[in-house]
Amino acid sequence: MATAVAGCGSSGSSGSSGSSGTGASGSGPVKLDFWGWAPGYAQSVALWNKSHPDIQVTFDNTASGAKGGYTKMLTAVKAGNAPCLAQVGYETLPSFAAAGALQDITQYASADQSQFAAWTWNQVTIDGKTYGAPVDTAPMALLYRKDLFAKYGITKPPATWAEYAADAAKVHHADPTVYLGDFGNDAYNYAGLAWQAGAQWFGTGGDQWQVSIDSAANQKVAGFWQGLESQGLLKNDPSYDPSLYSDMAKGKILSDVNAVWDTPILASSVKTTSGDWAVAPMPVWDAANPQYGNDGGSATAVLNGCKDAKQAAEFALWMSTDPTSLTNLIKVTGIYPAATSGLDNPALTAPDPFYGGQTIFDVFKAEMPHINTNWQWGPTMTQASNDLGDGLGTVETGNAQLPAVLGTVQSKTVAEMKQQGLSVAGG
Amino acid sequence: MTTATPEPPAVARPPRRPPHHVRRQARTAAAFIAPFAVLFAGMYLAPIVYTVYQSLFKTHHDGLGLSAPTTVFAGLGNYVTALDDPAFRGSLLRVLLIGVVQVPVMLLLALALALLLDARRTLFKRFFRLAFFLPYALPGVIGAIMWSYLVAPGLSPITAAAHHIGLHLDLTSNTMLAPTIGNMLTWGWTGYNMLIIYSALQAIPAELSEAARMDGCSPLRIAWHIKVPMVRPALVLTTVFSVIGTAQLYNEPAILHNVAPNLSSDYTPIFAAYDQINNNNFNAAAAESVILAVLAFALSFGFLKFMQRRGETL
Repeated sequence: MATAVAGCGSSGSSGSSGSSGTGASGSGPVKLDFWGWAPGYAQSVALWNKSHPDIQVTFDNTASGAKGGYTKMLTAVKAGNAPCLAQVGYETLPSFAAAGALQDITQYASADQSQFAAWTWNQVTIDGKTYGAPVDTAPMALLYRKDLFAKYGITKPPATWAEYAADAAKVHHADPTVYLGDFGNDAYNYAGLAWQAGAQWFGTGGDQWQVSIDSAANQKVAGFWQGLESQGLLKNDPSYDPSLYSDMAKGKILSDVNAVWDTPILASSVKTTSGDWAVAPMPVWDAANPQYGNDGGSATAVLNGCKDAKQAAEFALWMSTDPTSLTNLIKVTGIYPAATSGLDNPALTAPDPFYGGQTIFDVFKAEMPHINTNWQWGPTMTQASNDLGDGLGTVETGNAQLPAVLGTVQSKTVAEMKQQGLSVAGG
Repeated sequence: MTTATPEPPAVARPPRRPPHHVRRQARTAAAFIAPFAVLFAGMYLAPIVYTVYQSLFKTHHDGLGLSAPTTVFAGLGNYVTALDDPAFRGSLLRVLLIGVVQVPVMLLLALALALLLDARRTLFKRFFRLAFFLPYALPGVIGAIMWSYLVAPGLSPITAAAHHIGLHLDLTSNTMLAPTIGNMLTWGWTGYNMLIIYSALQAIPAELSEAARMDGCSPLRIAWHIKVPMVRPALVLTTVFSVIGTAQLYNEPAILHNVAPNLSSDYTPIFAAYDQINNNNFNAAAAESVILAVLAFALSFGFLKFMQRRGETL
């Protein structure tokens, strides 16, 4: 007991206390722990262990980041018994860096920089230090019921948000129990919609943070969705909730704007409708100059306190670039690789039976050049995404208006940053 | 503490060293107490001390704060910040309001049920005793899941029935959340409190009621003038338990959140403290936990003292 207390007390100022990685010297293989939640990661780890007898990785399934996984990781770092490797989304990496929870692996990783799309490398490199290997990017698309679109007279999926609004009205007026889409409460899905509109949430100027969650560009996006919501044209099931999938399976919700990694999740959640779905590009604001959104993408990060950072970096880079690992991750996890060599992986051209035999990655590939790569995440994303998730929840239950919610999230975010002692503009 | 128990015999024989068998007794007592003392100190006292210690520090960032923070002494700074935070104050007030309304309703109901079970002419006593107690036997989370389906918009049979008679009712709207949670608590805990009061009623000597009855006292008056005053200690005890239980409100709103996304992530003080942990602000979480503990202690202990003082003057 006493040692545990002392161990906790000393962290925060320095993170040199022990980690699960056992010493590299001496006999026996190096053992590394890896915490994550994405389906398919365990298989990639198994592939690595087979070909690398000297470095054995153990994959532990945790709750997803937003559902407590990140809290568990941060607590473990504070307690000095964190795993060497962890799945951390790009959106949360700056928060982890601000918490001192990451280990600088620049010296082991910088040689591999050229293997990745430049902007994904920027997502794992904060203030000149690289903390992990990018795994994937997460372009968004419209996943829709091809059969039911035809039934309600939608001959081609909406290409613009104006068409989306018109189709939403068309469907709902044809049958008041049916909706084109769902207005959920997932903050990062909403962030993807803002990303598409060029509505940055965070920026840095000089040595200060700039928070622009309540900007005019964000208000445009908020106004559009509040408009549909106020007209009752969207269903209001919580994101990723059983009620959502129940409504989708019953044909009450016809589409979802979601990220590439959602394609296998949807497929396993509404199995009974297999073959009826298709993937189309995300509706855009300006058909002449299409821009698409990104919802997620994550890294294999090395956590503070890892004694075998070199081996950890080696594994992380391998998992993101090795063709057998990528084939597995594309098939099972539904990733769109961050490694440029991964874009030629044959798994990306495999027809998907759930989506009627469509080669769905073609859609995401075509979107990639039109995704803003300058998006920057803030250092208090857990708080900001919690507050936005709360706000979206009150909007979908009709207890608040989305444009006003953005103002609340903006002021709470600035307050949280100030509380942490960060310098923030306009606060 | 460990040496306190065997003292009296030693004091009875002041001048000499305690004889062998007394010292052996002391050692035996210490050996029996030690496992408890170690666990109590390690699992109970140490976390409390550590929490208070943590609450006095804060992490400090420089500029953009993208490198590791440093820990600095903050004194009572975290307490000031927490009490200054409208969201945290709101969560305290919310739980206080739920408690002020729900605890009396539940305990009056528990008292009424206990008196009915204790009444001479009640039929099927054993059946009702079990039936009232059953909700408590169900794990609290399971009860909360069941209720969340009973109130969820689109699923709720209650809402559907109300709609049928032309009433628009949303049991998960912002204004209805607190009554819905109060209802879940009342459903789950009334039986438990009833059982405590009922066992106190059972302990009342039968002669008292009998004498009153022979003097022509009606059952209602017996209940009011004899039984209720006699079970006062049980009522005080259940109130104290309920106050502490309400301060720790977590399960019901956490489950309800699944069907009511408008229930905020800092709805109760424990939610708010957990929220701070999610934000990696352990120091703020510690301060909020201490504030909650002190308030819960002050309320329950204050109530106990107040009732004892009143009991003396009666």
